[in-house]
Amino acid sequence: MSSQKLERLLNLTALLLDARVPLPAERIQEQLDYPEDRAAFRRAFERDKEELRIMGLPLRVERVPGSLPAVDGYRIPREEYALRDPGLTTDELAALHLAASAVQVEGLPTTEGLLKLGGLVGEGGPELGVQVAPLPADPNLARLFGAVSTRTPVRVRYHGEERVIDPYRLEFQRGRWYLTGYDHLRDEERNYRLDRVEGEVILSDLPPFTPPSTSVPGRARGAWELGGEAPVIARVRIGGPQAQWALQHVGPDHVVETTGDGAVVIELPVTNRSAFRSFVLSFLEHAEVLAPPELRDDLVAWLRAVR
Amino acid sequence: MSASPASTAATKMQRLLAMVPWIASHGGPTVAEVCARFDLTPAELAADLEVMWLVGLPPYTPDALIDVVQEGDRVWIHFADVFDAPQRLTPEQAVALLTAGASVLALPGTDPDGALARGVAKLAAVLGVDADQVLDVDLGGAGAEVLDVLRAGIVAHRRVHLDYYSYGRDARTERDVDPYVVHAEDGSLYLLGHCHLAGGERRFRVDRIAAATLLDETFEDPGRPPEVAVFQPDATDPRVTVDLDPAAAWVAEAHPVESIESRPDGRIRVTLAVAAEPWLARLLLGLGPQAEVVAGPEELARAGARAAARILARYG
Repeated sequence: MSSQKLERLLNLTALLLDARVPLPAERIQEQLDYPEDRAAFRRAFERDKEELRIMGLPLRVERVPGSLPAVDGYRIPREEYALRDPGLTTDELAALHLAASAVQVEGLPTTEGLLKLGGLVGEGGPELGVQVAPLPADPNLARLFGAVSTRTPVRVRYHGEERVIDPYRLEFQRGRWYLTGYDHLRDEERNYRLDRVEGEVILSDLPPFTPPSTSVPGRARGAWELGGEAPVIARVRIGGPQAQWALQHVGPDHVVETTGDGAVVIELPVTNRSAFRSFVLSFLEHAEVLAPPELRDDLVAWLRAVR
Repeated sequence: MSASPASTAATKMQRLLAMVPWIASHGGPTVAEVCARFDLTPAELAADLEVMWLVGLPPYTPDALIDVVQEGDRVWIHFADVFDAPQRLTPEQAVALLTAGASVLALPGTDPDGALARGVAKLAAVLGVDADQVLDVDLGGAGAEVLDVLRAGIVAHRRVHLDYYSYGRDARTERDVDPYVVHAEDGSLYLLGHCHLAGGERRFRVDRIAAATLLDETFEDPGRPPEVAVFQPDATDPRVTVDLDPAAAWVAEAHPVESIESRPDGRIRVTLAVAAEPWLARLLLGLGPQAEVVAGPEELARAGARAAARILARYG
């Protein structure tokens, strides 16, 4: 883009931001540095509009008031354009910068966002002592986040079924992205693996949903909870030396009993039996499934098949 | 990767839309500060600002144009009311920044009321969300005290003493380690460092460190630590040959296999180096009916079945 074109796009943005009523294309042509030839103007104007849309500017096309026959006009509503000042202090902006240099989502740059918030402040250095491999991106991640923040129900194809979901929250766990939301078809809250969503998520035109007032649990879920099977509560005893490690995985809330030798009994909600089996087997003979009999028998049958 | 001309231009325009309101509202910041914040050289800044000289509103007379003044090492922008606020974050920008913030906040030992927490909360507020409610990132488990000690050791180059549970060997060991870096990968945190027990660079899962203490010994800055492979087969390690059902074919991807062969019955036959018996036992336990050891030293070939028998003994 020549600096002339950049200048024209900036002037176009200023003009549309300043417009109280939608401006017809002719008015825009008169004001700005566009070709006089009508066809050449149309082509240049189309390209400019496309550029603004790519940059995420909320360009609106509305009927010019009082026009007969109706004429299309253009404007950028200031209330949809302007970022409300979050009032970040220098140390807060520097902390965000540091976090953004430590953790990246593949293909989603953080620089543009930081510039809007006041620029790159402080060192984006390694002083956290922690390096994080870039988190995998998902093609639907940004759109779903947009839907979460505007409380817009989405249409999703999942396991071969069209579903309508109120997207409540996004979670990154064990190297994968998950969506938690209310499934209209199933009439209950469910988890979805984003990498199993088929195709593009579509923003519906349904009215915005109200998020649940009781907060969705903000804890890490175990792999045994990430499944669509009928839920069952499993009781597992884990021996002393391994108990601490187990607690780091499941959190102290799941402990129902601690014995003198340091062993713990935990209760886990299981909706993914094969992930549960892997978890229990990772403790070798230091763990034992106590209940229910169904899961205990399943594990015994599995172990008898080991050759 | 070089940016396409179109994306460079869009980047330039978006940078100006962010930079103009910032300069205008900061009463003559220095060129150096603007350059640092907006990632520009002074020459690039001058070129960007030159574009603004002819930007404004109708009738584009001098009094209707944005006024850019550069004097000495400071820069002013006046009459830029039309650009008095930056553009909103796109969903891509919003999710990228909040994910970064939530990830670091989720690391044990990060101050839950510190600058980052306040910054994330303010950012979420202008996006109209509650960050805790809509986004949750778990990079891997770790005890807060353990991670604190490791980070302190990394930053100060001080040796640490670890009580470590070695999963592959199903054994607890005490060892001294020069900690280089903690890194997060695939849902777990790992410590990379020089292990004095093993006499080389090793990788430890942070959630298997039962306790860590900071020692007085220091070590030299390793520079950029080399990547430590999880497992390097040794020429002297014994080998076993295993037949895998198609459902277990991932084993050939996830572990270094020395040979791989398709069998007439649809299974695949792989040969694996075994550094520690418990590792093989766990692999076979996890695979259950999907794997069968067909060759190898007798005591290894029975490793899975023996481990299964030990576990089954608990079930009566």
